[in-house]
Amino acid sequence: MEAFAPVGLLLAIALAMCAGILGLTTWLGPRRPSAAKLSTYECGAIPEGNARQPFRSRFYLIAVLFLLFDVEAVFFIPWALVYRESLAEGAGLLLAMLVYLGFVVLGLIYVIRKKCLELY
Amino acid sequence: MSPNEWMIAGMGIFVLVCAVAVIFSRSPIYGAFGLVLCFFGMAGLFLAWSSPFLAMIQVLISTGAVVVLFVFVVMLLNLGHGSGGGVAGWVTVLFASGGIWTLSLVLLRALNRSPFYPAPSGAQGAGGLRAFSKLLFTDYLWPFEVLSVFLLAVVVATYVVARPEAGNVARKENR
Amino acid sequence: MDWLDLGLTFVKTLAILLTVVNTVPIMSWVERRGAALIQDRPGPNRVGPLGLIQPIADFVKFIWKEDPTPANVSGVLYTIAPFLSLLPACLVLAALPVGDHLVVMGREVRMQIADLDVGLLYVLAISSLGIYGILFGGWASNNKFSLLGGLRSASQMISYEIPLAIAATGMVLFYGTLNLREIVLWQEGTLLGVLPRWGVVLQPFGFLLFLIAAFAETNRLPFDLPETEAELVAGYHTEYGSMKFATFMMAEYMNLTTISGMMVTLYFGGWHIPWIGDSQLLAWFGGSRNILGLFQFVVFFTKVTAFLFLFVWVRWTVPRFRFDQLMRLAWGRLIPLTLLNLVVSAVVLYLVEGR
Repeated sequence: MEAFAPVGLLLAIALAMCAGILGLTTWLGPRRPSAAKLSTYECGAIPEGNARQPFRSRFYLIAVLFLLFDVEAVFFIPWALVYRESLAEGAGLLLAMLVYLGFVVLGLIYVIRKKCLELY
Repeated sequence: MSPNEWMIAGMGIFVLVCAVAVIFSRSPIYGAFGLVLCFFGMAGLFLAWSSPFLAMIQVLISTGAVVVLFVFVVMLLNLGHGSGGGVAGWVTVLFASGGIWTLSLVLLRALNRSPFYPAPSGAQGAGGLRAFSKLLFTDYLWPFEVLSVFLLAVVVATYVVARPEAGNVARKENR
Repeated sequence: MDWLDLGLTFVKTLAILLTVVNTVPIMSWVERRGAALIQDRPGPNRVGPLGLIQPIADFVKFIWKEDPTPANVSGVLYTIAPFLSLLPACLVLAALPVGDHLVVMGREVRMQIADLDVGLLYVLAISSLGIYGILFGGWASNNKFSLLGGLRSASQMISYEIPLAIAATGMVLFYGTLNLREIVLWQEGTLLGVLPRWGVVLQPFGFLLFLIAAFAETNRLPFDLPETEAELVAGYHTEYGSMKFATFMMAEYMNLTTISGMMVTLYFGGWHIPWIGDSQLLAWFGGSRNILGLFQFVVFFTKVTAFLFLFVWVRWTVPRFRFDQLMRLAWGRLIPLTLLNLVVSAVVLYLVEGR
């Protein structure tokens, strides 16, 4: 845990920098609101309708698939760490990972074949 | 109290405050943001218990994937600003978290247990990570492989549940 | 740690952070002059010689300009979204090793803000937090273009995080450690007596995949659809003006510097120069660790600058991808290729070193 102490220091300095930037604009910038500036930007057209409309469920699918493959990718890291040391005891780790990888690739093939990620 | 115990106490309070803020926030997006901070606090707790690997995984998966998913869902469902009203936010958060913290400390003392676990020794950094990795592929190999099958099943289930059918998309968008 | 350690850490943190923050105005100048060079036009040349004062003029303009805030935005989230983008960009710097170590007042000072045993994982974890600034910025602006741009950019960033992580894991197979300083130390010396023992020599294909994923992670052309002018006005930062917009830009350039630093650390030997070892250099510098440290610092940032120029060069050379092409590239090409890279490396390692 002691190794992470400088990270806390960096966080404090970065927060101070952010507060400084925010303060700088708030105090130094003029404030002259007008109807045009207050309205939402839509390339000169007058915006109509609520901006937050329901849209494609593909984005949800992308997010869930990312979560699953991220969890799978995380398991590669402990494997890669001890792989080289374990080679002295044979191909055990390699075979274990090949089985695991087989299932990951199966999932990937399924996702691609079912066209989950075709957006248009 | 040692610095470790200060860290556990501080992070614990932080996690509680953020969790209460998630529940009492006036909009789901602010709740998701509170959840991000809450998971950061949990990563800090993992650090206090000498598990940097778990802390990083917590940030990577929980904050970087799970809450992103929640935010995507909130945006998809167009939950907007949520219903206002209720007691003033910061007052609730303050009293609720302070109350929970005090009550748990009292309860633990009553049960004659120390509220602060000592940090486990000999499980530092990559030393602990290497031992954990070796264990994963020797003693716990079977659960590891079952996990990959399980994730495959989840992938299939996700597709089946959230199946993007060409006809339905057009119908939902012209609602 | 005692007060001297604390003071040294503070100075070290400030030095590295300020160096990287200073690359932001320099990068904006390099970007504009580089673009002009490639497009055969002069570029900014009015403000100071060769337009060198231009970034300072821009900075002054950004501070004193009005910060237009549309009426329908969601208060707190709108204000803090740019800083949510900036904070992870600053935090990632903690694990980058810019040199070996200095000797100050009899203490060995590592040239890294934090010598983390899980350094690589830390970098991956914190860079995955950069999504929130974009997501919340796009949503809080209450503007159709911003929302769509934010969502697209977030989908792009999460899709390319997986090949980034797996390509980096391919290198960990060789290094056997997640500690970035040990990774750089491993890359000293030569392979077969001829080639420098750098990551790119061991896994050139893996480096290429990491490079492509890095382009997509930082939203640079050819992957900058979420923020291009022709498509979505300015994407998720449409409704942001003056300093908040500058903060988004700052976060983007700092991300560029950080990921270039990661590529140099993982694949290009960090602070080493090819064929000349550290002990030989130390002898040349008369045994002074501090001069060697300064030299290593300069070498590291020279390599980072080369990568930054590569980013600028590619930006003004290739056309951009369509969004579905982008997604297909990530899931259909990059992830299988990085997995293939991982398997081939593992098999080769087994054949060479097994039993």
